[in-house]
Amino acid sequence: MNRQMNRKRPYFLNLLAIRLPIGGVVSILHRVSGAALSLLIPVLLYLLWRSLRSPADYAAVAGFFSGGLGWLIGLGLLWALLHHFLAGLRHLGFDFGLGEGRERARQTAWLSLAAAIALTGLIGLSTLSGGGA
Amino acid sequence: MRHVGGAHRGLDMWLLQRASALYMAGFLIVFLVLLFAAGPMGYETWRGLFAPMYMKVGGLLFVTALLVHAWIGLREIFIDYVHCLVLRLGLYLAFGILYLGCLAWSVDILWSVK
Repeated sequence: MNRQMNRKRPYFLNLLAIRLPIGGVVSILHRVSGAALSLLIPVLLYLLWRSLRSPADYAAVAGFFSGGLGWLIGLGLLWALLHHFLAGLRHLGFDFGLGEGRERARQTAWLSLAAAIALTGLIGLSTLSGGGA
Repeated sequence: MRHVGGAHRGLDMWLLQRASALYMAGFLIVFLVLLFAAGPMGYETWRGLFAPMYMKVGGLLFVTALLVHAWIGLREIFIDYVHCLVLRLGLYLAFGILYLGCLAWSVDILWSVK
């Protein structure tokens, strides 16, 4: 009887076969975005340094992010920051015992996931025509 | 034998992670407000934001919180995925050195704005 059930269980951690609950998706994205931002700290400091150094350097940095691949990279960075920020606020809430119920936790998981994507999309659209941050 | 590099220094790390997160969240919100209050963005406006002493000190605290937060976060990831102790300790050390360098660099960047 148990043999039949066991056969359907995954034998290894196949990431494509695991169906994570939404809280798990938000959590792993929190980790991925955090790792990406951590690894990029020297690059971000470089951008801050360039942007403050001279008007020409500032223009170069602003120009890089204002269109094409740089614009996409900027939006990716922005999403990582927003997702990490919002999911982090959600986790801070858990530390204080807020929203720990299953339903509420699922709602806030969807909310933080959607809000980060929506805000990134809105800022992306607003910089699409306007040009420059 | 003393356990090194493991996950048994939880509470101080846990607290530091939350404290640094709260400071960064507060700083970012204040920074956003100052950014919008500064008016149309350009080099002079951007540089002007970093001129006051409170921005240099607050910004340096932000970078410090960021580096501490990032190091603790990476440490958690290394604990989960890097099981070779020598490699894990090497990564702690490498990122510790890299981030200390970043801290020194950020002092130079922030105080270069007169």
